[in-house]
Amino acid sequence: MDATTAPHHIPPEMPQYGETYHVFELMQNMLEQLLIRQPKDPIPFLISHLQQDSDNVPKIVILGPPASGKTTIAMWLCKHLSSNLVMVEDLIARKFSSLAEVARKHYQKMKKLSSTLLIKLIQERLKEEDCIRRGWILDGIPETREQALMIQTLGITPRHVIVLSAPDTVLIERNLGKRIDPQTREIYHTTFDWPSESEIRNRLMVPGGISELETARKLLEYHRNIIRILPAYPKILKVINADQPCVDVFYQALTYVQTNHRSNAPFTPRVLLCGPVGCGKSLQAALLAQKYGLVNVHCGQLLKEAVADESKFGELIQPYFQKEMAVPDSIIMKVLSQRLSQQDSIQKGWVLHGFPKDLDQAHMLNSLGFQPNRVFFLNVPFDSVIERLTLRRIDPVTGERYHLMYKPPPTMEIKARLLQNPKDTEEQVKLKMDLFYRNSLELEEFYKHAIILNADQDPYTVFEYIESGIINPLPKKVP
Amino acid sequence: MQAGGDRELQAKNYLEKHRIMELLNYLTSALLFFRPEKPREYLISILERLRIAKITGVAFPFFMDHSNIVSMFEMMDTSEKGTISFARYREGLKTLGLLNEDEVLKDDGHVITLEKFRSEVNKRTEKIWSAF
Repeated sequence: MDATTAPHHIPPEMPQYGETYHVFELMQNMLEQLLIRQPKDPIPFLISHLQQDSDNVPKIVILGPPASGKTTIAMWLCKHLSSNLVMVEDLIARKFSSLAEVARKHYQKMKKLSSTLLIKLIQERLKEEDCIRRGWILDGIPETREQALMIQTLGITPRHVIVLSAPDTVLIERNLGKRIDPQTREIYHTTFDWPSESEIRNRLMVPGGISELETARKLLEYHRNIIRILPAYPKILKVINADQPCVDVFYQALTYVQTNHRSNAPFTPRVLLCGPVGCGKSLQAALLAQKYGLVNVHCGQLLKEAVADESKFGELIQPYFQKEMAVPDSIIMKVLSQRLSQQDSIQKGWVLHGFPKDLDQAHMLNSLGFQPNRVFFLNVPFDSVIERLTLRRIDPVTGERYHLMYKPPPTMEIKARLLQNPKDTEEQVKLKMDLFYRNSLELEEFYKHAIILNADQDPYTVFEYIESGIINPLPKKVP
Repeated sequence: MQAGGDRELQAKNYLEKHRIMELLNYLTSALLFFRPEKPREYLISILERLRIAKITGVAFPFFMDHSNIVSMFEMMDTSEKGTISFARYREGLKTLGLLNEDEVLKDDGHVITLEKFRSEVNKRTEKIWSAF
């Protein structure tokens, strides 16, 4: 039973199932919780963990200097993700907690909260039912490295940490215009975020501690602390520039917290490249196959190979080639499924291009069980396609391929004898593009998780986009 | 740094004592083999059965029952002699996840029969499950 004489054939349904239901991440989360809590009875612990189903709730920390807009962003995120906001003032003001009572007395005397007390309050809050079910967003906590380490030892790990940053001068000026609505506790600004209703305007109060000197002092302390907190969250940190309109900051923050991080889950890429003729599908597929060892499956090529090999499929296909008619879908499906179910495609993954061309073909591909797990639409404007294709030439003597703009022939002699492929004339290209665009809308709807790229750039930039689309987990769409 | 090393050691000991890795391997294999529509509910049901089995002392339905062991043996015994070589036996145990990596099996010179294979598989599976 060694690998060479009787290799294990893992049926492709297994990795597909694993990917769809994120089995790896599920197991990883279970193991993490087991190691952090180390319960004496692992089985009941695992049962309650699975029942809680809180693997994907938001667990976010937002840090930033005063006047960076932390609380505003935190509140907006809370509303958007239906999560719970945890701030220092709230923790102290809680009613039914004896810890909070102690904290209040401490705060009245010293005007500051000790780290241990704060962390205990946080622990208590995060254990509550609603934080477990809907996640939490910590606003401005941890304030120091000490607090960050204490939170970590308790096993509270955020999945995303956002740090807002802006130049100090901007912050000092911004803080002068800060106003608070005492009823809703929302923060407004005299210049940037002025409420439209006059009754809110009349209610607004000036908060304490916003003079230039105060802000400068707070900023100094912040800078001293943040530099030591950042290394505690190496892979989950994102720094967002707070010196831009609030909505932009919010949009960036929202996209970030909705992306999952890369995990070590086993992943065989099954990539589908779609796009009009001349968008660079074949080139990108060749680059992918070369770099990642994927099997490059070009539908048209496959059919030609079948004819050349004179296999039984080839005999079926040949009459269509001779009459220059499109090969019927059923034959294409048979040839394709034969290629894609070979051992090397299943093991190494594949990149498919030139198929499907319309919705029916896409349905057929799905029904055979060869769903791609990454779909890319390469968009190129019509003029670029014309430029790329109609200027292609070939030298009949040497067989070398040239392009009149991107790779011109070196001498006039060669240029004089260059020939153009009749398929590359403008009319032919227009015909093929129209054909593609007629069906592309349906295909885009069918492949809901497709990634749309601008392919009107140099090939290596497009390749990098495709790579990052394959390697990073698919972004979650906002419902 | 000493504190970090201790915690790591502590964590490793915890994993070994409760046989967490074997449990997770078993759960993952079950999920991938049966491919239920609702993976969480399915996992909860397996864990519940395990918990009850532990309390009541009833034998837990093992992954490899008798017929599976026989088919596996027959697969390895390509010449249908009724025995398998020691190398094949070792590979088989490793595939089932019943052999630790640094464990050394004694080759007593005899070939392995179906009975010996079955009793060894059962013995090792018992050892793993008795930890739960």
